Amino acid sequence: MKNNIKVQRAIHDLTQADLAKKIGVSRQTINAMEKNKYVPSTVLSLKIAKLFKKPVEDIFFLEDND
Amino acid sequence: MKTNYLLPNKLKPLGWILFIGGIISGLIIVFSNYEYEPLKAKVLSIFNEGFLGSSEMEYFKIIETGISGELASVAIIIGGLIIGFSKEKVEDEFIFKLRKDSLVWAIIFNYFILLLAIVFIYDLTFFHVLVYNMFTPLLFFIIRFNFLKLKSRSHEE
Repeated sequence: MKNNIKVQRAIHDLTQADLAKKIGVSRQTINAMEKNKYVPSTVLSLKIAKLFKKPVEDIFFLEDND
Repeated sequence: MKTNYLLPNKLKPLGWILFIGGIISGLIIVFSNYEYEPLKAKVLSIFNEGFLGSSEMEYFKIIETGISGELASVAIIIGGLIIGFSKEKVEDEFIFKLRKDSLVWAIIFNYFILLLAIVFIYDLTFFHVLVYNMFTPLLFFIIRFNFLKLKSRSHEE
């Protein structure tokens, strides 16, 4: 699964730490998601989508091998 | 992330003190060939058949014996469990996954090393393997978990 959290973060002018604090996770988690090293749970994906006020599908995308 | 078995984060320093203190005193005992024994106490022995079955089996008897090895082992195990299973400052699903992955890694790695030791180490020298192997699963787990945490902390942005 891929995502554009980094882009959304830039649009909202948030650092990794800011975003982490807003959704109550560690900065490492944001970092790992942006690098596609970690696939977040449904709960976390929904929280991120809610914060950016976008549907989940606009932030997270399936890849061909998923 | 809600978990029902993780201890509070503030216990972590206590865990490190017990773990490191236990390892240091354990190593002192090992390098004295198990002869260093500053503490003796009366303890309950549930069953005992002497050294490798050299005497009759005895059940539920109070015996007097050295207990520094036991204290060191208890400190290492309790300390290690506290370190490995207390919450991080920010405990979330990613940290939880790192912890689980480290546990799996530690079990596989530990048994791989143990297999090599079984095949290549013989006689009473293998006794050392048994002693170390009481603690290596926890040790490998803690090392791996902290390594993964450190790795994921680097490379900002």
